[in-house]
Amino acid sequence: MSASRFKVKALAWAPYIEPVDVATATEEQLAAMQVTPSNTKVSPYVRTLAHDPESYVARTKLFNAIMYAKGGLDRAERELGALVASAVNRCVYCASVHARRYVELSGRSNVVEEIYVRGLDGPFEPKIQAIVDFCRTLSQTPSHVGRDQVQALRDHGLSKAEIVDLIHSAAIFGWANRLMHTLGHSTPVDDR
Amino acid sequence: MDQIDILSGIKPDSELYRIRRERPDYVEGTELCRQTVLEPGHGFGIGHAMRAALAARMARLIGRNDLARAYDLMLEEAGSNETLAAIGSAAELPADEDIFTQALVRHADLVTRTPRDNTSADIERLAVAGLSNPQIIALSELIAFVNFEARVIVGLEALELVA
Repeated sequence: MSASRFKVKALAWAPYIEPVDVATATEEQLAAMQVTPSNTKVSPYVRTLAHDPESYVARTKLFNAIMYAKGGLDRAERELGALVASAVNRCVYCASVHARRYVELSGRSNVVEEIYVRGLDGPFEPKIQAIVDFCRTLSQTPSHVGRDQVQALRDHGLSKAEIVDLIHSAAIFGWANRLMHTLGHSTPVDDR
Repeated sequence: MDQIDILSGIKPDSELYRIRRERPDYVEGTELCRQTVLEPGHGFGIGHAMRAALAARMARLIGRNDLARAYDLMLEEAGSNETLAAIGSAAELPADEDIFTQALVRHADLVTRTPRDNTSADIERLAVAGLSNPQIIALSELIAFVNFEARVIVGLEALELVA
């Protein structure tokens, strides 16, 4: 489908604060991290957020609903919403994860190449342009989102229910990026 | 009708109201998250009133005065004072304000406005001001939630205007 062979590298993530130690974690933290005798490997990201287990559990459930709920907006397009938000917020780690998921689901490495090499200005093909423009404005300057940008999504065939999914997938990365990018940084995978 | 319906201008019998209810995990999940960041069971010493004041402030920075007023009300109910009112109204804090409060406010402003520019030094400043690791995470989740909520409202409001 796409002539591009552009590849985004997988990255790891390292926190700026000391994450929760599984060996000394509270019952509530262990439950939040889903640690069991057969599963004691927990990512640094989860262990960092497990300092506040209550918010971690609630947000993870909401995140999974938004990114993986059945029906509605195509999963690839939710990943594109996530990628655009992550590009705006310069969350290198989130961008790499969701750029790769978008390519896996859509085969459109040319879109990812455009975003990585030239940024969010485009030009992209019309439907992708409408999605990028809307998610970019929502992420960067929410006060500038207007009905024209939503009308463009409708004109390119998105239903209102699909647009509700897109709003949530871009918005939840306004959340995720504000954790991942401020609480730690990406590292090469080999570094671990 | 929940806060997001009301602030997005969604009518109770509208198409968009119905569409939202087809995604109960979004609707209920958002309200559950609101509780965990604004009225958590364990607040790690950052109280409900301070959280409401910071939420009102961030909503104002994002340009949603209606959302800010909802948090002003929450702050009133939680019990406001001069410092909290200043925080909520997005005013500058007096220079002699305690460093812990200054640090909370500075971080909320920064991560709301320009998260891309945050570095490890910003987290170190929180630690130096006396925030524990759980407080750093609780603050980060609160900031991120309000930014999420405001964007959902903005998006739904624009969608409600479109045929």
